[in-house]
Amino acid sequence: MKHDENYPYAGPEALRQPVLNALRRVVDPEVAMTIVDVGLVYGATVTPERLHVLLTMTSAACPVAYVILDDAYAELERVAPAGMSIDVELVWEPPWTTDRMSASAKAFMGW
Amino acid sequence: MRNGRRFAGHWLLLPALAVPAALVGAIAGGLLRAGVALPAAGSGWLDAAVQAHSFLMICCVLGTVIAIERAVAVGHPLAFVGPSMSAGAGIAQLAWAGQLAAWLVLAASLAFVAVSVVIVRRQRAAHTGLLLLGAVCWAVGCLGYAAGLPVNEVPCWFAFLVLTIAAERLEMTRLMRRRPGTSAALAVILVALLLGAVGSGVLFGLALAALAVWLLLFDIARRTVRTYGLSRYMAVCLLLGYGWLLVAGLAWAGASRGWPLRDAALHGLGLGFVIGMVFGHAPVILPAIARVKLKFGPAWYAPLALLHASLALRLFGGLLAVGAAGNALAIAAFAATVIGAALAFQHSPSRQGQVHGTDPS
Repeated sequence: MKHDENYPYAGPEALRQPVLNALRRVVDPEVAMTIVDVGLVYGATVTPERLHVLLTMTSAACPVAYVILDDAYAELERVAPAGMSIDVELVWEPPWTTDRMSASAKAFMGW
Repeated sequence: MRNGRRFAGHWLLLPALAVPAALVGAIAGGLLRAGVALPAAGSGWLDAAVQAHSFLMICCVLGTVIAIERAVAVGHPLAFVGPSMSAGAGIAQLAWAGQLAAWLVLAASLAFVAVSVVIVRRQRAAHTGLLLLGAVCWAVGCLGYAAGLPVNEVPCWFAFLVLTIAAERLEMTRLMRRRPGTSAALAVILVALLLGAVGSGVLFGLALAALAVWLLLFDIARRTVRTYGLSRYMAVCLLLGYGWLLVAGLAWAGASRGWPLRDAALHGLGLGFVIGMVFGHAPVILPAIARVKLKFGPAWYAPLALLHASLALRLFGGLLAVGAAGNALAIAAFAATVIGAALAFQHSPSRQGQVHGTDPS
């Protein structure tokens, strides 16, 4: 199975790739990259009752953050088993840095 | 649980009614200034709009929209008090209560400074500090305007808009590898911009032009313009805007030396740069603040092309009135495009092509 998430994942293996794929469908149009490639996903934890994802943003002043959170929720809802609650949480610690960008994101931005 | 967002929709009611009125007033006032004959000429509200064109456009329309954007980011209902006041100021201005409008906007700008401090406390970074500096520029200009102090409010108001946009782009340029000296160069440019806003038109203009060059060199738009869909559209808006910022900066410096370039300075900056940025960012900001989904398509390029073509006609073709009418038509066409995109999304069988669904991979 293909695993290339750049965030800590804890939970059943069967959901690892679907969760990653769901998050990869969430795009920040301003930078033309997925939130996984930008490194905005800080972690995903899945228990039988709950799918909990931690997201950050590059800026605390950007209102688009909430649209991205809603999009992430909608995509995770498509892959979560029926009855599982979904919690997409916005966090600011630790602050996002360019170290979190994927190799392809850095290549796209000319690193 | 979806997330902890507190959406203060009822706070948007007054701005939703007042901002379009202020925008229509500002545009009508601008058209009359440019020599376009309007059927309502001579009516009281229009005379007030002619007198306060820049106040209506910068403080009551753009200031309100930017403050709402920031309030949504902060997510606290109190943050919406400021934009409600600046939106209400637009109505007061059109009703010939100009002094009340001036004080309302001053209060709104001070509230905006407070909201910007909250952002800085949440994230201590160069771009949030710059956003705060922009807010202070707005407040300084408003204080001068309301209290009749010897402050040239228009450069201060423009500094507010330019610093706000520069801060948001600075945040984006973090994704690219910085060459040594890049940040220092930007700091020098911004210090010159601030000094110029309060003391020297030549310095202000040259700083604007230098900022345009900096953005053309280091903004991610140079990379995202190679993608497609909404991301490319936004990049096109940005790059065209930077071109106008360069033109406007040089024109501002020239106008300050007495050359007949005042219209190129004010409207190259206000329309070419600032409204161009609004065209570029509205497709992602509107869904965030109004919770309305928009469908992106090639039609979005039509108002953009009209805006820039009519501005070129106005500033380089010597056709002030015709160009100004084209500018107004471009803004109306953009509003129609937004409404059409919202309706198109509602009737879309799938979410393909919605503004937050573009996939660059």
